[in-house]
Amino acid sequence: MSIIQVQELKYRYPDTERLALDNVSFEIEQGEFIGIVGRNKSGKSTLCYALAGLAPHFFGGGYGGKVVVNGLEIRASEIEEITSDVGLVFENPFSQMTGSKFTVFEEIAFGLENKGIDRTEMVQRIEESLFLLDIEEIKNKNPFSLSGGQMQRVAIASVIAMKPNVLILDEPTSQLDPQGSEDVFRVVENLAKEGITIVMAEHKIEKVAQYSDRVLLLDDGKLVDINTPEHIFSRDDLETHGILAPAATRIAQALDIRDPLTGLYPVTLAGIQRQRGEI
Amino acid sequence: MAKLETRGLHFSYTAEKKVLNGIDLILEGPPTAIVGQNGAGKTTFVKVLKGLLRPSKGSVYFNGEDIKDQTVAQLSRHIGLIFQNPNDQIFKNRVLDEVMFGPSNIGASRDDARDQAMAALERLGLEDEADANPYDLSLSERKLIAVASILAMDPDVLIFDEPTMGQDFEGKDLLKQIIREEHARGKLILCILHDMDFAADVFDRTIVFNQGNVLLDGPTREVFSQKDILESAFLEQPSPTQIARVLGLDGCYLTDAELIAALKN
Amino acid sequence: MGAMTLYVKQRSPVHSMDPLTKILYVIVSIAVTYILRELWAIAAMTAVTFLLLVIGKVFRKIIPVLGLSLLLIVSIIVVQGFFNPENETVLFELGFLTFYEEGMRAAALFTLRILNMIGSFGVLILTTKPDDLVESLIKRGFSPRFGYILLSVLQLIPQMSATMGKITDAQRSRGMETDGNLWVRTKAFFPLIVPVVLNSLNETRERAIALEVRGFSSKGKRTFLNVTEDYPYRHVIRGVLLAVLIGAIVWRVWT
Repeated sequence: MSIIQVQELKYRYPDTERLALDNVSFEIEQGEFIGIVGRNKSGKSTLCYALAGLAPHFFGGGYGGKVVVNGLEIRASEIEEITSDVGLVFENPFSQMTGSKFTVFEEIAFGLENKGIDRTEMVQRIEESLFLLDIEEIKNKNPFSLSGGQMQRVAIASVIAMKPNVLILDEPTSQLDPQGSEDVFRVVENLAKEGITIVMAEHKIEKVAQYSDRVLLLDDGKLVDINTPEHIFSRDDLETHGILAPAATRIAQALDIRDPLTGLYPVTLAGIQRQRGEI
Repeated sequence: MAKLETRGLHFSYTAEKKVLNGIDLILEGPPTAIVGQNGAGKTTFVKVLKGLLRPSKGSVYFNGEDIKDQTVAQLSRHIGLIFQNPNDQIFKNRVLDEVMFGPSNIGASRDDARDQAMAALERLGLEDEADANPYDLSLSERKLIAVASILAMDPDVLIFDEPTMGQDFEGKDLLKQIIREEHARGKLILCILHDMDFAADVFDRTIVFNQGNVLLDGPTREVFSQKDILESAFLEQPSPTQIARVLGLDGCYLTDAELIAALKN
Repeated sequence: MGAMTLYVKQRSPVHSMDPLTKILYVIVSIAVTYILRELWAIAAMTAVTFLLLVIGKVFRKIIPVLGLSLLLIVSIIVVQGFFNPENETVLFELGFLTFYEEGMRAAALFTLRILNMIGSFGVLILTTKPDDLVESLIKRGFSPRFGYILLSVLQLIPQMSATMGKITDAQRSRGMETDGNLWVRTKAFFPLIVPVVLNSLNETRERAIALEVRGFSSKGKRTFLNVTEDYPYRHVIRGVLLAVLIGAIVWRVWT
C-alpha cells in the first residue's frame, strides 16, 4: 500500500473563502523523492502542512477529503501520533530553533526528549544525524550563532534524529547559498535511499529536476499533474502554470534534443549528455 | 550618475572575527551583481555602504563625499537598501502606509507620498493589496512590498539583498524588468545574489566576495568564465555555460538565447 | 545574534544552585518582605538578594531593570511622603513641601519590597539556563505546556530587543531620524512598539509550529539528555529557606 494517500483533499484556512487546496488526489510510494513545484500561492506550503497534520490540527479551517500517511488518517489522528511518523522542515531556520537550548547537540535532543527516547539511544541518534548532515564540528556551538545554512542543517538534523518515515520539506533551501542548497539536496537524497519518503516543495527547478523521482505540479490549489520530471517539464503548458522549465530542458527544446523512445526532453545536464551521446 | 566608492574598508563585529578585509571598489555605471557564499561579507558590505554599520577602518564616499558625517536618515534619500528579509523591514499594519513611510520621512507631502507609493505598488502589481495587512500576505509578496517601499523614495542608488529569494519565475521577471527600468532612469543598481543564472542574465558587472575580500570583479562574462576561481569560492557557472560544456562548446554563455544561437551555427 | 535568553553564562556558586532551590528562594524572599514589617529585616532580605546577584556576577545586568523601576519608586516616595493618611511626624521640609516620617517609612518599605522582588527574579532568571528551569519543573510534574509558556515569556525580552534593532535599522534606512539627542530618540521609540510586538508574536507563532512538529505536545513520558546534576547542599539550603519563612511567620504572629 502507498505510504501517502491523498483523496479529494480540500482545505481552506480559517477566515478565508478561497480553497488553498482544491480536490487534490495522489499517492506516493515508500522511499520516493517527490518535488512539489508551482508558482507562489499555488498551495505548496499548504499541501506540506496537510501532510504533516498541521492543517487542520494546528491551523483549524475547513477540511474535506482524506489524507492517510503511514497508515494514519491525518484528520482523525492526534498531532502527537502524526509527529512520530512525519517530520517537517520549513523555510526559516531561525524560527525552527527552540530558543532554549545552548548547543546544537541539545537542540537536536529536544524532539527526542519529548518522545521519551532512552538517553543512550538519544545520544547515538544525535551523533548519527550530526554525521549525516556533516555538522559534527559545530555540535557544541550555540544554534543562534550559526549562519542560515548551518542553522537549516541543524533544523533538518533535529527532525531526522526523530527517525520519521516521511520527511516533508517546505522550501528548505530558499535562504541558502548554492553550496548550502546542494548539500541539503544531497542529504535528502541519501535519506530517500535509506527508505525515508521525501516530499519537498522547492523553487529551484534545476535541483528538483535532478533529484526527484516524481514531480507534483500545483496551480491555484489544484493538482495539475504528478509524473516524472521529464514528463512534467516537457509539458507545453508549463509556463501557464507559472513554472519555467530547467535550463537543460529549455535548451533541449530549442535544439529538439529528445528521448527517441518517449519523445520527452531531458531535464538535467546528464540527460542532455545522454541523448547527445546516443544521437 | 551616482557613484559609490570604498577605500580600504574593514569591518568586524568582534575583535576575533573580521568580516570585511580592506575592500577597494568603485561602483558606478552598469547594474552590478555581488555574489559569494553565505558569510562572505556581502550583506555586511552593503550595510556599510548604507551607513547602517560604520567601518572599523577605511571610508565610503558617495559622489565623492565621505558618508561618515551623515546620519542614515539623511543618506536614505540617496541610497536605498532592500533588506533580504522583508520581516526586518515591514512594520506597518497596512501596505500603503508601509510604502508611504519612506517618502513621507524625506519631505514628500501626504498626497505626493500616497501617489508615489501607489505608483510603486502598481509597478510591482500590488495595487490591489494597498489596504491589506502585510502580515496576511505571503513572504514573496512581502519581499515585493519591501521593494516598492524603497522605489517610492526614488533614491539614486538601489541596493537589493537577495531579491530573487523565494520568488517564482514570474516574480523574477518582474524584478528583472524593475532593475532594467531603474538603470535606464540613471540609477546605480547593486544586487546581492545567490542565483547565478539571474546574475548572468541581468547584470553587466559581477563582483565575487570571498571571506571578506573581493575575489573577482569585472564584466559578468569575464567573471563567469573563471570556472576554477568560482569553484574555489563554492560558486557554479551559470546553467547555459554548464550546458555548453556538456555539449562540447567552449566559452561562457550568459543566457539561453546566446547558447542556442551558438549551437545553431 | 546571541542566544535568545536573558541567562548569563558564568561560573558561580549561584549558577550551580539547582533551579528549584532558586525558585524557592524567590518565593521565600518575596514572602518574607511582605510578611514582616520591620524595616531592618526587609532591608536585610533585600541585601541578601543583591549579595546573591553580586556573587552570581550578574549585578550589572539588573541595573537597567532597576533604572526603569526607578520611575515607579520615585513616584511612590512622593505620593507616600505627601499623602499617606498616617502622616503626622514631620521629617523635613523642602521649600513648601513637607515630608512626613510615616509616609517615608511606608515608601521605604515599598521600595525595598520592589527592589527585592526584581532582584530575586533576577537571581533566578539571570543565573539559570532556561531549559534547566523548564526541565526541572517538568520533572516535578508541571505540564510541558506550562514550561513552554514560561519559556516564551523568558524569550520575549531578548527577542523583542533583537527585533527592535532590526526595525530601527529599517526605519532609519527610510529617512527616520533615530540618532541624536534624547528627544529625537524618544520620538523614534514610540512607533517601534507596535511592530516590535507584532513581529515577536509572528515569530512566536512560527516557533510554536516548529515545536509542535517536534513532538512538544506529546503526552507520554519524557526523557532528558542532560543528567540531573547533583546539587550539593540543596536540602540544607532549602531547609534554611523554609526555616526563614516559618521564622518570619512566627515572628509576625508573636509580635
